[in-house]
Amino acid sequence: MTTGLSKRNSRAQAWFVFSFLAPPVALYALFVLLPTINAFRYSLTRWDGLSDPVYVGMRNFRSFLAPGSDFIPAIQHNLFLMLVPGVFILSLALMFANMIHQRIKGAKVFRIAFFFPNIISSVAVALLWMLIYSPTKVGLLNHFAAIWFHRTQPVPYTESSRLLTSLVPMTVWSATGFYMVLFLAAMENIPETYYEAARLDGAGPTTLFFRITMPMMWEVFTTGVIFLIIGGLKYFDAIWVLENGRPKTATHTMSTLMYSRVFEQYNIGYGTAIAVLLFLLVLIVTVVSRRLLQREALEY
Amino acid sequence: MNAAANRVFTGIKYFLLSLYLLAVVFPMLWVLYTSAKSTQEMYRNPLGLPDLITHPSAAHMAVFVENYRKAWIGSHFSDYFFNSVKVVGISLALILLLGSMAAYVLARFEFKGRGVIYTLFMAGLLIPMQLILIPLFFQFSDMSEWLTRMLAPPVRSMGFGELTISLHDSHAGLILIYVAASLPFTVFVLTAFFKTLPAELREAAMMDGASEYRTFFSVMMPIGKPGLVTVAIFNFLGLWNEYLFGLVFLNSDKLKTLPLGLASISMQAQYKSDFGLLFAGLVIAMAPALIVYLFLQEKLTKGITVGAIKG
Repeated sequence: MTTGLSKRNSRAQAWFVFSFLAPPVALYALFVLLPTINAFRYSLTRWDGLSDPVYVGMRNFRSFLAPGSDFIPAIQHNLFLMLVPGVFILSLALMFANMIHQRIKGAKVFRIAFFFPNIISSVAVALLWMLIYSPTKVGLLNHFAAIWFHRTQPVPYTESSRLLTSLVPMTVWSATGFYMVLFLAAMENIPETYYEAARLDGAGPTTLFFRITMPMMWEVFTTGVIFLIIGGLKYFDAIWVLENGRPKTATHTMSTLMYSRVFEQYNIGYGTAIAVLLFLLVLIVTVVSRRLLQREALEY
Repeated sequence: MNAAANRVFTGIKYFLLSLYLLAVVFPMLWVLYTSAKSTQEMYRNPLGLPDLITHPSAAHMAVFVENYRKAWIGSHFSDYFFNSVKVVGISLALILLLGSMAAYVLARFEFKGRGVIYTLFMAGLLIPMQLILIPLFFQFSDMSEWLTRMLAPPVRSMGFGELTISLHDSHAGLILIYVAASLPFTVFVLTAFFKTLPAELREAAMMDGASEYRTFFSVMMPIGKPGLVTVAIFNFLGLWNEYLFGLVFLNSDKLKTLPLGLASISMQAQYKSDFGLLFAGLVIAMAPALIVYLFLQEKLTKGITVGAIKG
């Protein structure tokens, strides 16, 4: 974009570019890039945060696989919280998006309302469900169990042994609207003529969905899957709040384990190694799925 | 398909959609109307409407007011609320300013290193907050020490007493992280946006004798408003609800933001079995973001899908 005008003022322009880039780049380098590099360094050490760190190579990463390691159950919980709610979220979101896409009355109301839970902070969502699940007389679910099924003993749905299962409906409730809006936007980008042509050929709603809608929105659907996987890998807030900041082996995820190891046991090397692994997993998921997508795009 | 089968289909569709609508909206309504109940009323029937609605009276009104008074004043919810307003407000202003400066230059100027800088920003989209959390914690200690060493002597010599700078347990520290961590997404969206603006705009402004700076602030920024609004809404929701960084970097109760304050109130309320406080607190915490959403929902859903579909 070098015009005759700007060439004459090239020094002034160079200064302008520098002065506009320097503050954001400096801030970003200092508070994102530098800590990223340091995370890799810390992950190779044993360090209590006070004395000098000791270089231990890959020992932190190897200890993830050691017998009795807390890390294995933690990553299993991440997988659980990604897969089980994920299946419900994707199915419900696709189903509702497809229903609303068919130009029904009140579409706007459903679209706006379904998105509500996504607006509320994860801490508020966790507390809202804590109240629904509460074993005290305030708890709605135990109230229903008592009046409909004559259950006399309240069930402590949020105690550690049941917490992960109880998080499934909560996660579905809070996330489905986002994916529905995402999928609906993709569906609305599909030209109406495709559907009209297929209908003339006698295609029913099921055929339309699998032969036109899904293939046409495949890229956005895959993006949704990546979001769900990354969200599952990072899972932290709800568990932290519902366990009052003291998750146990039965409820730890990678992020909560990282927090506990660093800020409660002062095992900074180990905790940072978890963060590094989390980052690598996010990276692999994103890069691999992008590659797969590109290949599919070439095949068509 | 015949008309009867079609009607059945439509019926099922509406039934399922309405059922889910109820599942989404009812828990929020339940929190809202339960916040007008006393703990005794909740114990009597957790599902029923509050006496305030069924038998309106001054006494029942007092229960309602008391719950909110306890939350807003007694439990410092007003502090949490204004802390959130302050931290998120300042962060947003800086994010929009710095993000659009970087994006404008990256989108509209040719210079050496442009590709590298853009790639570095885009790499940030892949970095989870968890990765930088721990190193930042220790980096903050070093930086605070360094800043104090640099700035304390001149301040002392000017007669203002001892100066100690700490980025830990301070809004400034949290804001710096929020701004830096929000830049990749902001730069990504705004660069794409500035690229779509016609080149003639800048040339025309410069012909009129405006400097590059003036061109940016009085021509480009106003035209860039739709892009800025999208980015602002997206960042607002993320930061307004942010929990993990606040948890690590804010310790003093008087500095806490809403999500942190809500979490600590919940422990107090459960300990004292004061559920009125908890329900009222939840309403205060949920309401602002929901109201912002209702007013800006079209722009917001567009912003989110733009981010997701292009990302």
